[in-house]
Amino acid sequence: MKLLDHYELYTPYALLLLLLVPVLAIWLYRNRYNERAKFLYSDIASFGSFKTIKNKMLPLLTGLVLISLALISLGIARPRSVDVTAKTKKTKGIDIMLAVDVSASMLARDLKPNRLEALKKTAINFIKKRPNDRFGVVLYAGEAFTQVPITSDQRVVMQAIRKINFNQLFNQLEQGTAIGMGLATAVNRLKDSKAKSKVIILMTDGVNNTGEIDPNTALELAKEFGIKVYTIGLGTNGYAPTPVGLRPDGSFVYQNAKVEIDENLLKKIAKETGGRYFRATDNRKLNKIYKEIDKLEKTEIKETKYYNYKELYRPYVLIAIGLIFLTGLIRYTWMKSFV
Amino acid sequence: MTTKDILKKVRKIEIKTKRLSDHIFGGEYHSSFKGRGMTFSEVRPYAYGDDVRNIDWNVTARYRTPFVKVFEEERELTMLLAVDISGSQWFGTRGQLKHEMITEIVATLAFSATQNNDKVGLVLYSDEIELFIPPQKGRSHVLRIIRELIDFKPQHTRTDTSMVLKFIYNILKKKAIVFLISDFVDENYEETLKIVGKKHDLTGIMVYDPIEKEMPDLGFVTMKDLETGQQAFIDTSNKKLRKTHNANFLRRLDYFKKSFQKSGSGVIWVSTTGSYIKKMLQYFKARG
Repeated sequence: MKLLDHYELYTPYALLLLLLVPVLAIWLYRNRYNERAKFLYSDIASFGSFKTIKNKMLPLLTGLVLISLALISLGIARPRSVDVTAKTKKTKGIDIMLAVDVSASMLARDLKPNRLEALKKTAINFIKKRPNDRFGVVLYAGEAFTQVPITSDQRVVMQAIRKINFNQLFNQLEQGTAIGMGLATAVNRLKDSKAKSKVIILMTDGVNNTGEIDPNTALELAKEFGIKVYTIGLGTNGYAPTPVGLRPDGSFVYQNAKVEIDENLLKKIAKETGGRYFRATDNRKLNKIYKEIDKLEKTEIKETKYYNYKELYRPYVLIAIGLIFLTGLIRYTWMKSFV
Repeated sequence: MTTKDILKKVRKIEIKTKRLSDHIFGGEYHSSFKGRGMTFSEVRPYAYGDDVRNIDWNVTARYRTPFVKVFEEERELTMLLAVDISGSQWFGTRGQLKHEMITEIVATLAFSATQNNDKVGLVLYSDEIELFIPPQKGRSHVLRIIRELIDFKPQHTRTDTSMVLKFIYNILKKKAIVFLISDFVDENYEETLKIVGKKHDLTGIMVYDPIEKEMPDLGFVTMKDLETGQQAFIDTSNKKLRKTHNANFLRRLDYFKKSFQKSGSGVIWVSTTGSYIKKMLQYFKARG
């Protein structure tokens, strides 16, 4: 039974014992003379009718015993504070590899502020919403590398995505768009995964124009390992301001260039692996796509919540025991009978 | 209690009290309760030492030797023992219950009476007349009285002294020796006592336990009244309470003495630890 946000009673039925307390009180009152040995006396009236302190204390002592019984009932109800750390069992989720195109064309500004940044933002939101899945990130341009292998540590994944820095990558990676390489690398990372469902979200904004592995080969690989591939084509229809050259100071020269996405290939990959192809023409669309994928890849969430209980019965029981002890002490010392 | 036990007890009491009445009480009792006067019974020849005033001159003249008249005390007294057997009698802290002591007192009195050829009757009462044995003579009758005292189980627990006094007044037409033996845990019997006291030779014997006089510190005690069945927690450690208790006892004793003496009756009060023989001897001597 929940009481407040953080408190609950483990066995609330024990509170029914509280009902017994007044019953017991009545019973005790009715049988108040039965508990002890009686001194049969010839004339009680001769003691007069005045009450001494001990007479007055007696109901108080019984009251204390009743209170301690009530406290014990509360203790049996096991009040405890709950600290829920909603950890989900990550192994039960699915494994998702994000294959992100980081070619120069990703800096095109048809998505705001540019394709890469928009992607980063949406990807992070996507990850946040799926706390029980494992993620990995593969970056590719003219070649591909694994930024983050499949992991349940989503903070690392999100951190890695946040840190994708085009300028840095630009110097490290060969130029071009090697979709086959990206896909193959992602497949490679997923192939040993024991997850029920393995998914690659392949994002690109161009046409496969380089790389040692043909996209079709990579597709076969994905099929082989039973990996679902969702493909996302980034970029508007028609023309978009795309970097076409490099100025001496390192900044890009933008020019409207025709957006070319190998949609047929992406569709094919998606279809053959059981995924879907999406086209993101703007930020809103991109968001929607992720939501769509999120819906499609419903995992049965086996959330194991970690309840951190702090049992609070102890003070109740201790006070009760203390009270009982105290009444016993009073009864058998100060209020004892020699009869 | 089996019959055998009762008889054994009766025998024990008989032995103890009969000796008392034979050797100690007999005479005192005899002289204490006198008959209505002297009546002539016979004449016999004069013997040396006879009072010359008792010489019957007519008979002396006829026989020509002196004869004296012999008088006998007219006894044939009736003694009625009214014994309280209410609940409070079954209390006692020093070896014997009040009831046990009363039984001995009654036995002593009854034996003394039979010895003097008096009739003995018994009334057992609580707040009702529990048992009435009409006055009769004889040892076996006394033994029956003792047996009843030992074995009788009263139906009621409370005490009504006034009621038994009225009963005695109604049942005894002639003047009788009446002993009222009780612990007198009762009130309002003064008026009735006055009436009964005038008609009969009444003596009240109050038997009490030392604890009834002075309650020791027994701590916080659950008590049950033997008469009313009322229960209470009594804090006997409390000095004020013990004082009240003692004062109430003294007031009760005082009421007992005063109301009996006012009605011209005698009083004996004895603790269960005390010697009733001594007290009774003192009483008889004072009367005699």
